[in-house]
Amino acid sequence: MNDWQRKSPLDWETYVNKMVKVAAIEKHEYEGWVLTVDPISASVVLATFLENEKVSISVVLGHAIQDVEVLKEGDDEMKQRLSCIFAPEESKAYSPEEEEKRKNALKTWLETNHIPVTEQGESGRTLCVAGVLTIDPPYGPEECSSSNEIILSRVQGLIQGYLEKQQ
Amino acid sequence: ATMPVPVGVLRLPRGPDGCSRGFSPTSPRFQALLGGDAVAAQGARAALRQRYLRGLAAARGRPTRFCLRAGVQVDAVFGAADVEAVAFQVDALRTPLGVQAAALLRCADVLAYSFLL
Repeated sequence: MNDWQRKSPLDWETYVNKMVKVAAIEKHEYEGWVLTVDPISASVVLATFLENEKVSISVVLGHAIQDVEVLKEGDDEMKQRLSCIFAPEESKAYSPEEEEKRKNALKTWLETNHIPVTEQGESGRTLCVAGVLTIDPPYGPEECSSSNEIILSRVQGLIQGYLEKQQ
Repeated sequence: ATMPVPVGVLRLPRGPDGCSRGFSPTSPRFQALLGGDAVAAQGARAALRQRYLRGLAAARGRPTRFCLRAGVQVDAVFGAADVEAVAFQVDALRTPLGVQAAALLRCADVLAYSFLL
């Protein structure tokens, strides 16, 4: 384990949204805006904006990092730009009322099928199934999150079937 | 044959933290061990990890260049990464011996990788 890997998560967090130069073993160097540092492997994820509107993402593995030098701070505009890079895709936009209707319809259907579901999060927009799976708006199979793969795939299947019946 | 004598169960007294089932994460001792910013550190870990996982998801299916040791570079299509950061699974790995339909690259052998969004 090297010095970089030994840093604390709060330390790594200070590098996010900064332009850095990463010195790696075998004399490799990588420059870019820090999107994140993986707390498990201490790998640094860098973004470089190319001329043709494309973004190049480089991931330097933690075990290969010798030094990270901050070159400059990102301004608010850059922070906004960086946060959008991996942001989950916005699918069809629903109005708040439509979203609420979808949420309530799904919640009712789950309850009718004896599946425990609660609302959580700020403004209660997230559904929580059996305390182990969450569903974000717009409440499709893609918006399900869980650390249990079996429950995840079962609930995704249920929701898929429910949505198909709605059509 | 004689009946085996059951072994007596030794019940230890409760520990000072009250919860005698083991180290309690909320005990003053554990907080002192972690440092005062335990909660904040965990919040930072979660946020950093979530962004990293979304980055991995974004890499899936994209042509990726892997920079290995000794100046070796290989191109492949990013497949998946595992939880313990042991290996990467890739498709269509181009090697001097031909294209491997599916392969594993050890994380210890990979220095960096990059792809276009």
